[in-house]
Amino acid sequence: MAAMAAGPKALRRAGVAAAAVATRGLTRGIVTRAGRPRHRAPLPRTPWTVRGPPPEVLAEMAEPRPVREQVELDTVTYAERLHYVPGLARPRFPPWERGWRDPWHSPGPRYEEMPLYKERGCYICHQGVRMLEGVRQAQWLTKTKLVEGLPPAVQTIMDNPALGLQELEERAKHMVSHARLWDTAEAAPRRERYCPMLFENLIHICRLMAGKYPALSKRMLARNCRIAATWERESILLQVRGLSGILMNSMSPIAPVASKEEILATKEHILETFYPIAPTIDLQEVNVYRELNDTGFRDGYPYSHPHTLFFLESANVRTDRFRPEQLRAKMLMFAFGNALAKARALHGNDPKVLEQPIVVQSIGTDGQLFQFMVFQLNTTDLVSNDGVKNLVWIDSDQNLYERAQCVPEVKKGVVTKPAGISGFQPDTFKKFLALYLHGTV
Amino acid sequence: MAALGLCRAFGALLLSAGPRRARPLALPPGPQPWLPGPLSAPAACRGLSGSAPRCTTDPLWKCRTKYTVRPVGMKKTGGRDHTGRVRVRGIGGGHKRRYRMIDFQRLRYEEGAPAEPFAEKVISVRYDPCRSADIALVAGGNRKRWIIATENMQPGSTITNSPHISRMAVSASEGDAYPLGALPVGTLICNLESHPGKGAQYIRAAGTCGVLLRKVNGTAIVQLPSKRHMQVLETCVATVGRVSNVDHNKRVIGKAGRNRWLGKRPHTGLWHRKGGWAGRKIKPLPPMKSYVNLPRVKAVE
Repeated sequence: MAAMAAGPKALRRAGVAAAAVATRGLTRGIVTRAGRPRHRAPLPRTPWTVRGPPPEVLAEMAEPRPVREQVELDTVTYAERLHYVPGLARPRFPPWERGWRDPWHSPGPRYEEMPLYKERGCYICHQGVRMLEGVRQAQWLTKTKLVEGLPPAVQTIMDNPALGLQELEERAKHMVSHARLWDTAEAAPRRERYCPMLFENLIHICRLMAGKYPALSKRMLARNCRIAATWERESILLQVRGLSGILMNSMSPIAPVASKEEILATKEHILETFYPIAPTIDLQEVNVYRELNDTGFRDGYPYSHPHTLFFLESANVRTDRFRPEQLRAKMLMFAFGNALAKARALHGNDPKVLEQPIVVQSIGTDGQLFQFMVFQLNTTDLVSNDGVKNLVWIDSDQNLYERAQCVPEVKKGVVTKPAGISGFQPDTFKKFLALYLHGTV
Repeated sequence: MAALGLCRAFGALLLSAGPRRARPLALPPGPQPWLPGPLSAPAACRGLSGSAPRCTTDPLWKCRTKYTVRPVGMKKTGGRDHTGRVRVRGIGGGHKRRYRMIDFQRLRYEEGAPAEPFAEKVISVRYDPCRSADIALVAGGNRKRWIIATENMQPGSTITNSPHISRMAVSASEGDAYPLGALPVGTLICNLESHPGKGAQYIRAAGTCGVLLRKVNGTAIVQLPSKRHMQVLETCVATVGRVSNVDHNKRVIGKAGRNRWLGKRPHTGLWHRKGGWAGRKIKPLPPMKSYVNLPRVKAVE
């Protein structure tokens, strides 16, 4: 370039222009990041909002304009000038092709062209689904009757003095203090840290019981395991799919909680509906899916029976956490999904009333508030609304402690609130332990 | 400051007499296809001294086609249009807002649903930063949507939307949406649309309501909040009742800064002699606005 010799000023100008065109916009000496090209026209008259495309566009789509005939004179464009010239037409180039497939910049196939595409939509419940109607909706979807409180089999474990639960209370309180107060060098650990830590600690205490009951050692904790269960409910195809909490498996199944009479008594129960709202609201509707029933474990896995599911709501931001009602609905759906997948694996895909009902428990927590749930799968015949229903026992909103004060509150030189755990409720811990022991003791 | 002054100096130099002298130095003799003569100098020096508008706002956020209940992030315009010029004075700043897509067409059926009356349940009623009225989240079927809340809308209540016009006028409860032909004369209405199926564009501000005055062979005449009369087809859908947030006009701004929170900039302090704009005006009401025979309707026929 001959401009090199012209002078440093001119050189800088030319360089600036080239740089501005090439990669980044340099305006008034401010270096900006290269972004999307600026929108340089007025917005469409009718904005493409809720109403969809504006009427003119719709009309164009319906009646494509006839192809313009070739005029005698070619339109003169500024293509060879390589820049905009007023008065000349804007050149139209064919869309640029890369010539090789870049997975980052190539649109995937359309849903309609995928091999798994089906006409009939499927409603999927996964980890991120927050149900609007909560437990009621989950009850309808899983054809379940709700019983408040924990089942008597668990209550007897709680009240059994021979287990020596009293000695563990002090230990549990220490574990709570460890998770909430002593775990970090910071002033206070965040929920992302203390919620899993509290769960680990509680599970650790529970495991100590294995000295007394050796059968407890035949448990296995599986994280990030996936579940797939498909069922049909009144002409709606439903699925529970994806990651399902932390799953504790055992080598032997839990004995049925409800007796035969109680199971037969559920025939009279009428499922609650919520009329203007469809039961599938907030579930994700997909057309590309596989009707799959899978427990997430291979055949021959020794710890094959799902025992308890743990759900940790450990997001720091409140809006990212599930509200207790939504969490209970999710717990119910996933406990049901695990039980159904297990039932399908054991007894085949035919819908029937199970001889040996399958019991799956689930516990949800946000680090302070606990939800306990025992689910019993009585039937896999879920299409109709009548007949035997499944059963669920829910003990909701149990605080493990009232408050954890990490830094003592001092007012006018007087400690008004000392640091520590206040309002520890041993009953909640007992319930946690009883659900762990359930099926073995 | 020194750098700025230097830039200004360069700019003055280039814009006035500078290029004449500088160009022979900057450009070598010979054809330069990418830098034709008269245009080259300003283009080249734009980085230093030009006035290229910097686009800080991207208006394309509002060209969203798919409906969502989630709030959409908005970009502030500061009253500028796409050319960067001030189109509306006195706008700028304020608290960050997010846009919740309001469904103004109350009678929008769910996909695949028949054109039958349907009910919806109010889930929550909340404040909306983008308008004076409150908004309500309603759910029905597999769908959730935002609508403008009426005065006594409560979470948990059920509202109905009906397209039917029967011979008898319905006794509608507040919050229901009906065609004007189905409502009794004298009903207070809001969220009125000018053409059937267009979506409500009238009577949407906080605390306002219109009155259904009379129904004349297939049309309905409505008194707007401004007392002006409006004639629309009787198939136009309106919501029964008054728009929520009735006390909107009674709130106290309190200080100049609160208006700034709302994104309103102060008026100019220049003194103007009071002219004809001040004082009481007695004007006849404008004639009735009719939306019945518009060319668009003819085109449909």
